Parts: sequence; structure tokens; C-alpha cells
Amino acid sequence: MAEADDLVAIEEVLQQLERVSFVAHRDTRAALPAIREFGAVQARFWIETARDLFLHDREAGKSFLRHSARLAENSGVVEPWTGQAREFLQWVNSHYALEGFLAQVDRVWRAWGEVGEREWFAIGLRWCGRSLADARAYFETPFDRLDGGQGVSGLRSLIEPAERLFDERGLTLDCYLAGAPMARNMVGDAGLLSWARRGADLLVAGRSRGEAYFRMESEEGMRLLLEALPGYRARLHGRFLQLLLLAWLDAEIPLADGDWKPGEGRPMLETDGRRLYLPAVFDSRDEAIVAVQHGAAHLAFDSYAREHIESLFARAGMEHPPLDDHSRITWRPLFASFGEHMFRFQILFDLAEDLRVNGRLHFRIPGFLARLLQLAQRRELPKEPAGSYYRFALETYVGLREELRPLRGAGPSAEAGRAPHAPPGTLDHRLRGLLKPEATVLDAWEVAQELFADPAFPEIGIDQRKDAYLPGLSLNAARPVYPQRLRDGDLSDFRDVGDAYEEHRFVREKQEEAPEQAPEGAQKDPDADIQMPREETSGSGGRIGVGIPAPAQVAKRGVAWQPRSGGIPYPEWDYREQRMISDWVNLNERVLDEQAPGRAREILAEHAATLKRLTRGLEMQRPMRMAPLRRQMDGDELDTEAVIDFIADKRAGLSPKAFIYRRRAVRHRDTAVLVLADMSTSIMARHPGGEGKIVERVRSGLMLFAEAIDRIGDPCAISGFASKQRDQVHYYWLKDFTEPLDDAVRGRIAGISGRLASRMGAAIRHSVRAMQRVSSQHRLLLILSDGRPADYDDGGDARYLHEDTRMAMKEALDAGIHPFCITLDPSGEEYLPAIFGPGHYTIIDHVDELPRRLPEIYLRLRR
Amino acid sequence: MKNLLNRLRGVERDVLESPPDADAPFYVAQADEIEIFRAAWTRRLPVMLKGPTGCGKTRFLEHMAHVLAKPLVTVACHEDLTSSDLVGRFLLEGEETVWQDGPLTRAVKEGAICYLDEIVEARTDTTVVIHPLTDHRRQLPLDKRARIIDAHDDFMLVISYNPGYQTVLKDLKPSTKQRFVGIHFDYPGELIEREIVARESGGLDPDRVERLVAAGRRARKLKDHGLEEATSTRALAYAGELMQAGLPPRTACRAAMIAPVTDDPELIQALEEIVAAHFPESDEETAAVHG
Ligand SMILES: Nc1ncnc2c1ncn2[C@@H]1O[C@H](COP(=O)(O)OP(=O)(O)OP(=O)(O)O)[C@@H](O)[C@H]1O
Ligand SMILES: [Mg+2]
Repeated sequence: MAEADDLVAIEEVLQQLERVSFVAHRDTRAALPAIREFGAVQARFWIETARDLFLHDREAGKSFLRHSARLAENSGVVEPWTGQAREFLQWVNSHYALEGFLAQVDRVWRAWGEVGEREWFAIGLRWCGRSLADARAYFETPFDRLDGGQGVSGLRSLIEPAERLFDERGLTLDCYLAGAPMARNMVGDAGLLSWARRGADLLVAGRSRGEAYFRMESEEGMRLLLEALPGYRARLHGRFLQLLLLAWLDAEIPLADGDWKPGEGRPMLETDGRRLYLPAVFDSRDEAIVAVQHGAAHLAFDSYAREHIESLFARAGMEHPPLDDHSRITWRPLFASFGEHMFRFQILFDLAEDLRVNGRLHFRIPGFLARLLQLAQRRELPKEPAGSYYRFALETYVGLREELRPLRGAGPSAEAGRAPHAPPGTLDHRLRGLLKPEATVLDAWEVAQELFADPAFPEIGIDQRKDAYLPGLSLNAARPVYPQRLRDGDLSDFRDVGDAYEEHRFVREKQEEAPEQAPEGAQKDPDADIQMPREETSGSGGRIGVGIPAPAQVAKRGVAWQPRSGGIPYPEWDYREQRMISDWVNLNERVLDEQAPGRAREILAEHAATLKRLTRGLEMQRPMRMAPLRRQMDGDELDTEAVIDFIADKRAGLSPKAFIYRRRAVRHRDTAVLVLADMSTSIMARHPGGEGKIVERVRSGLMLFAEAIDRIGDPCAISGFASKQRDQVHYYWLKDFTEPLDDAVRGRIAGISGRLASRMGAAIRHSVRAMQRVSSQHRLLLILSDGRPADYDDGGDARYLHEDTRMAMKEALDAGIHPFCITLDPSGEEYLPAIFGPGHYTIIDHVDELPRRLPEIYLRLRR
Repeated sequence: MKNLLNRLRGVERDVLESPPDADAPFYVAQADEIEIFRAAWTRRLPVMLKGPTGCGKTRFLEHMAHVLAKPLVTVACHEDLTSSDLVGRFLLEGEETVWQDGPLTRAVKEGAICYLDEIVEARTDTTVVIHPLTDHRRQLPLDKRARIIDAHDDFMLVISYNPGYQTVLKDLKPSTKQRFVGIHFDYPGELIEREIVARESGGLDPDRVERLVAAGRRARKLKDHGLEEATSTRALAYAGELMQAGLPPRTACRAAMIAPVTDDPELIQALEEIVAAHFPESDEETAAVHG
């Protein structure tokens, strides 16, 4: 009876649908049989829901019909999800959310059961109440991405922060979900709320900035997360790693941040031939050391030598390697002929080339192989197909170690004995040739081709590719590279030859472009690394250490160039003529118009801990600590030695002065200091060895310096300089000797920025003149620089301004003022000894250390 | 009392060290320093030994004094060193006052080689007294006694001078420097350094000597990158001695080469890494067993 009613009702609905829509009618009929199996009651409920949805919103109805048969079959029920779908009737335009819901509700049901599914739905429904776009994002995100493997409780803890922040800050779920699942993997449930809150704050500051944070596309977004990642954080140990390279390879290879992100497989080091790009974390310290040493070995042993690479391309039938617009070689064409077997070949090629350079590195760094082997043996063998490659590589290195042992003769063979469980090593005969010192990357290519023909190496796809590499080793062609000259192991003159001016311009242009991309569309190319030159997104470019290379000044035809005058004239030394040219430079004292009081407060807040530590250190040097003063006119106690001298002198008939007391008192050191900062354009660049721009560190450094010196009470002044040809040398007083350290000074320091070039000699002369007015016994001129002196009109003759600076330095000494140069330029070693003399300069490798080091260096100098 | 006072003043070796009959102190020449010194000696020109700490300047001079069969007076200069400490002072003895010559005066009178080590550390008024000794006058004014004494024919003045970080504010005046013949020292080459370390450590085995010297040379590359004083030959010799005394190599290196020169955590790590690479774990164990 009741069933008959239901059947009639179903028929009526069908007729009704037939009248309104052909499609609806057809689809309903198609799905109906699967639903009918659950009985007439359910079928009636279902068909009425379908009709209501359809009449409410065509798209919603169509979705519902499309998924129904599958849902019924997979979940074994009809009523629950049908009822839930009905709920969407409450909103107009909810069909996207509904579609997301229907597309996966059966899987949720099966995974989490009825209770779990109900909660999943309830959460989504609440979002419908907040915003349909968010509800859509919720239902469209695969449920097993939301739960982080924790089931419903994982889902709950993921969504909770979003609900809270929606209410508090209007943070949309859409935005949040872009990064939250990944963020949770890194910071855990507990860290999620603060991660999201930070992002919400950024959204308020700027929409695109906040979104980039949540999509983990901005440094800001990544930083916090990476800090929470387990593993060895290479970024924090940059200086240590750099010191190792310096010691082992004599090389000052800049280390920069790579753009590896969690979820992109094993973190690996990359290089562009000029820098080593480190991922945020390595598994272990040992792996980081191996990676950096190995990466440097590629540079030292000519993996990227222009000559060899050109030959490689020549063999592949290309006359010249294709270059990108930075003149970097792009690799793709080289591998192209291997088609779909490209990755297989790439791994084998890297394996051969890595073996070659490691074989040579072993002689430079005792213990390198031992460490590599230890890491490789400790790691679990990866799954096939990567496992085959991994095993082969491992056995190769075990074999290599055996092989090399006799070669080292009686000398230090700095390797640990073979671990007992290690497989016996076999150095495949095909690889043997790579160990000859004269082998090159060309030989590696040949060997790789031979191995490539060997079916023992299985096909492998891009997803398993990284697993085929031993720890510390990495894709050698991950980035386009700047071809290198042949070095044959000698990196002592390796320099970061980037061009500050070029790169700076590049960075600036980029900023102006306002990177408003639509990132959803821009699918990340899974093989971007060798398909196309990677975009220099790091922007970490400014080579510090060069001034502005400029052609000699060419006046426009017919217009005589009129040098400006009206400032303070200074002479300059011309080494070509071996004489001083008087009144050659025109220097103007200028007021810095930028003031940044807010930033000043930020800097002080950021470095509060350092300042506190410094202050504590200062107590040691400050008037607080009493030092015994000997041979005083008066005092608390007798200076025995002086008394004896006095009496003896007296008896001997002399009339000595009664300097016979000792007194505990402040030993007055009486040192005055002027810090002269290079304010040329190059400080606006990013420093490869640190985060952010150089200028930020310079500001902080000067600020801490000012604060620290203020606390000890030494007379102190701070100035900066910049220049544009000889007639426009600008000298900026940030604080002069008489000025107290107040907020105006702080604001000025925080407001500095870089401009123009660096004519250092004139600035030194002007500083000397200012210091001559100070009466302290010791007068120290600290020059803070980031590169060679250079100016637009030096006609490319770097030596000219070098020589002049050297001369200015001598004049300072003659005037009783001691110059000391602190540079951020890693290549300072090349020219600073000549200009300032040994012991009169120091190089700060890591720009992040400047704020701390600057006051420290001063304190040490005045000791 | 007198000795105690002198010790307090840092005039530690305020004795005329007559050349003993034994062998000359062990010294391996690095370059032409012996010839230059001899030439300066024949003309009695004052000599300045330049070079980083622990590279053998003092040893060189001891060696030369012995070879030339001249007594050597060494004064280690420091901040509180006064000119009286060098030249001399009146002392009370009972009711009497007695003039007592300082080390410099005695050397001047008796024709010794006087070595003022780290002269820049002394007060500037101290350095003034050596001026008349460094030019053709070869005289020492004794202001307190209102006398000027002429130097003995065999008297020779030698100073050491280590241009570096800490001396920026205390550099010698160019006019002072010009009065000296300069001899430049640096850490010896690898083979020479091995010879030195082997000998100074009291016979450390060649394998460990070789590793030790190799490690030291690597460590030196970090100078100026936070390391103010590079690993010296002296430090290597110490490390060798400690190994001879039974310490495991890594421990010995840490104690002699790392701990004394830096507190900078990253540098320490880097130096330890260098040491560890040259003295791998397995050796450490061997050493522990045997030592
Ligand atoms: N050429 C050398 N021949 C022999 N021993 C040497 C030589 N160079 C260095 N040494 C060793 O190094 C130690 C330190 O040398 P020495 O004391 O002479 O250094 P220094 O240059 O005077 O150092 P400082 O500047 O600290 O006084 C010596 O005791 C000796 O063991
Ligand atoms: Mg490699």
C-alpha cells in the first residue's frame, strides 16, 4: 500500500522531470535502477531530492544524478548522502560545493564509516554557512589530504584553526587550505594555528602577499615552516660549510639558498657554476658536508668547463650549447636524444661523473669517501627501480675505496675500515677509466652510454629519479650553468663573478613588474629542472665586491662637460703620473633625507638579544671595571715598586716626582672612532651568503654599533659616502662626534639606502679631516665596505681608485689616525692587503653576522 | 726580591745567557734569514723580526746567538713595561742606594744581543729609549744617572714585530721601523715543518707527523676568516708532544690547536672537521688501545 504510493510518486516525479528537461529525465531514468534496489521509500526520497535540486539549480541536479549510481553502489546506502545533498538546497549557487561533496562522499563513507562521514559533511556544511567559495574548497580537497593520515581527528584539527581565524580575522578556508596540509606535516597540529595567524596578518597587509604565504610561494611562508623541519639546517650552518670549502679547496664559493620545498623528494644541492644552492635541510650534518664538498668538487674538477661542455654538445650534433638569456647553458637538448629514457641516462651520466670527481676529491679531502660510504650504507635501500642504481653506486664506491687504498701508499689513508656488513665492493671495469687523473666529463659521458646499453639498469621515471642517488650526491644538471674555465683542481681564484650592477638592475626591474601571476594556472612543470632554464627566482644575486663597471665618461659631442664645484675640494692620487692632482674631487656634505624611525625600532627589537649580550661584554671594557693604575700622584694604596724607585732616586740625589700610589680606577682608553660606511648601489643587492639585502645588515650593524659605543662612552661618529664621478662625492653624516645618540640619529641610520658608486679615497680624506678635530689619543677610522672602490669615471681601470685609496690610507696614518677596513666582499683578500696592509682589514663571510661582528671588532681593536 | 720584581715586570729572562757549549738550539732555516742576519750582525745593524706568532722567531734568535757565540738578553714587552724596567733603577740596599742596570743597559755594556719581544706592546715612552741605539750613535741615555753610555762593539738590538689585528692602534711609527733591517718569517714549508714537528715532539712517528702537519696547513687557510692567529708551528709541535704523551690524536689537536685559538663555535667545528679527517675514528681507537 505504502509502497504503491511511493511508486506512483516516483512516476509523477519522472513525468514532471520529462516536462522540464530532457537531460534530467534521461539521467534520472539511467540512475534509477541502481537506487530502486534500496526499496521504494528510499527511491522516492532520492528522486524527489533530484527533482528539487534540479529545479533549484540545474547544475546541482545534474551533479547529483551523475554521481548517484556510483554512490549507491559504493556506499551501500542511499538515504544518508541524499539527505545531505538536500541540505545544499539552502543556498543558491552551491552546486560547486555539492559537486565536490558528491565526488568523494562514497570514499569518505568507506574510509571513515557513517559517523566519520557525518562529521566530514557537517564541517563542510558549516562552511557553506560562512562562504560558498570556502565550502567548495573544502569539499573539493580530497578528504585524505585533509586528515594527514589521522582520520577524522586529523581533519578536525586541521579545520579548527581555520574556523577560528575565519571568525577572528576573516581568513578564508580557500586560502588556508592551499598550504595547511603541507604546513601541518612540518609544524604539526600544534604549530598550525600560529602559522595560519601569521598568514592572516599578512593578508591584511596585502592580499597577494598573504596568498603567496599560504601557497608557500614566498620566502616568508617557507621560512617559518622550514625552521620547524627536522634535519640539519644548512642555512644556519652556512659559515661552517663555507669554512670547510675554504680549508679543503681553497675556494670561496658562495652558498645560496636553493628553492627546494618539502614534498619535492629528497633535498639536494644544486649549482649554477657560480654558487652552490643548498636546500633548507639535509638529513644530517654529514650529508650536508658531503653535498657541499662534492658540489665544490664538480667546480674544481671541471664538470662544467666550457671546453668540455662544448665538446659534449658537439658530439650531440650541436655546434654550441644553447644559452639562456643569462648566458647559462641549458641541458635539455643534451639529453633530448634519449627521449623517454632520458632519466635513465641522466642518472647513469651523473653516476659516472660523480665517481670521477669523487675519485679526485678523495685525494684532497681525506675521509671524504669514508663519510660518503657510511651515509650510503646507513640509508635504507630505496625501492626498485631506483634501488638497482643505488646498489650499483654503493658497490662502486666500496670498490673505489679498495682500489684507492694502495694508491695512497704509506701516506695518510684517512678512511675508516670497511664496515663488517658492507657488501664486497666491485669497481665495475667499465668505470675504471674514470679514475685516471686525466679523465674528463667527456669520459663520463662515454661510460654513461656504455652503461645505458646495459639492461641491468631498469627503466625509471622522474618520480623515482632522486632516490637513485647516494646521499649527498645530486642531479648535476639541475640548473642551467655558467660555463667555467678549466681549473684542474685549483679553485683559489674562484670568484663569484656575478655582476652587482646587472643583477641589481634585474632585481629592480622585477620589482617594478609587480609579480601578479595567476599561480593556479601555472602548473608546476614536474621536469622543469631540465626542460627549461629555471627562472632566477632567488634573486640572490648582487655580487658584492664590484663597483659599477662603467665605460669611461664620454661627453656628448659638442657639449663640454662641466664638472660641478662648490663643495670641498680634495686631491686625488694618480698612480699613472705618480702625483697628486689637486682639487680634483668635489665633495659635498649632505643631509640624508630618508628617516625611518619605525624601522629603527624594529631593528633594535630584532637585535635586542645581541645588544644585551654585547652590553654584558661591554661591562668588561667599560668604566665599571677597575683596573689598577700604577705610579699615580695620589691613590688608595702605595705602589710598592714605585715607592722603592722613588726613595732610591731620592737617596741617589735626584728629585723624583712622587708618583708612588696605585689607584683602582677606570682605565681610560681614550679612543675615538668614526665608522665610514660605503653607501653605494651594491649594498642594495642581496648577499649570496645571507638572507635579504646587504643594506638591511648594514643598518642593523651601524645601529648596534652606535648603541654599543654609546654605552661605553667613546666619542663616536658615523657617516656614509657615495659618489658619481669625481665632482659629486656625497658625504652623509649619520651622527657626528658632538651629537648624542638620539632617535633622530637612529632614524637616519635606519633610513640609509644605497646609491651610486664608491670613491673611497675622497671619503677617507674627508673623514680624516673630521677626526683631526677630535682630541682622543687613539683615533680609529673603521671603513665598512662591500667591495672595491669604484666609480663611473674610472674608465674601467680598477687600479686607479685602488691606488688612490691606498694613498688616502697612508695620509690617514700620517695624521695619526688608524684606518681599519671591514668588508663583506669575499674577494677582499685580493686587494685589501695591498690597500690597507695585512692586519688592517677583516672579511666578514656571512653578512648576517655583520650586526654582531661590527661592534665586536671595534671592541677588540680598542683593547 | 729583585728576581721577584723582575718576574712581576715580565722581564723573565733577564739574565745574560752565555752561550753554552752544547749544540746550537735546533733551528731549520726557511729561507735566507740566516744570511741576512749574519750580514746585519757584521754591520751591527738593528734587526726587526716580523711574522706571525709561533713561527720560530725566538728560536731563530737563540740559534743565531749560539752560532755567533754571543749572549742573548730577552725582554718580553707588555703594557706596563716602563723605561726603568729596561734601562735600570736605583734600589735601596741597607742605607745605601744602589743603581741597578736594566737588561737593556747590561746588554749594551757587555755586548750582548738584546731581544725586545713584541715591542709594540710596551708603552710608547719605552720605545723612545731605544731610538739613539738604533742609529749610528749607538748610545743609551741613562736619564736618571744623567749619563750616556756608548754601546759595546758587539751589542746588537733585535725586536720582534707581529703586524696584525691587535696592533692597529699600537703600530710602530714609520720612522722607528725604518731604522731596522727587516727579516720576514712565515710558517715553514711542509717538509721543513714535518722535520720541526718530528723533532720538537720528541720523535712522533712519521705517519702522524705527516697528518698533523697536513691538518695544520689546512687549518691555516681559515686565517682572516675569523681566525686571528693561524695554527702555528708551535701549536703543531705541542700537539705532537701531547700525542707522544699518550693522548689520542684528536684530543691532542683539540687541546693544542683549537682550544687556544678560538671560541667561535663555527670555526671550532670547521677545525675539528679538519682534524677528524686527518685522524679518522679508527686511528683514534688504535691510539686509545696502544696509548
Ligand atoms: N724553523 C724552526 N726550526 C725549529 N723549530 C721551530 C722553527 N719554527 C718554529 N719552531 C718551533 O715552534 C716553536 C715556537 O717558535 P718561537 O717561540 O720561536 O716562535 P715565535 O715566532 O717567537 O713566536 P711568538 O711571536 O709567539 O714569540 C719553537 O719552540 C719550535 O718548537
Ligand atoms: Mg654530483
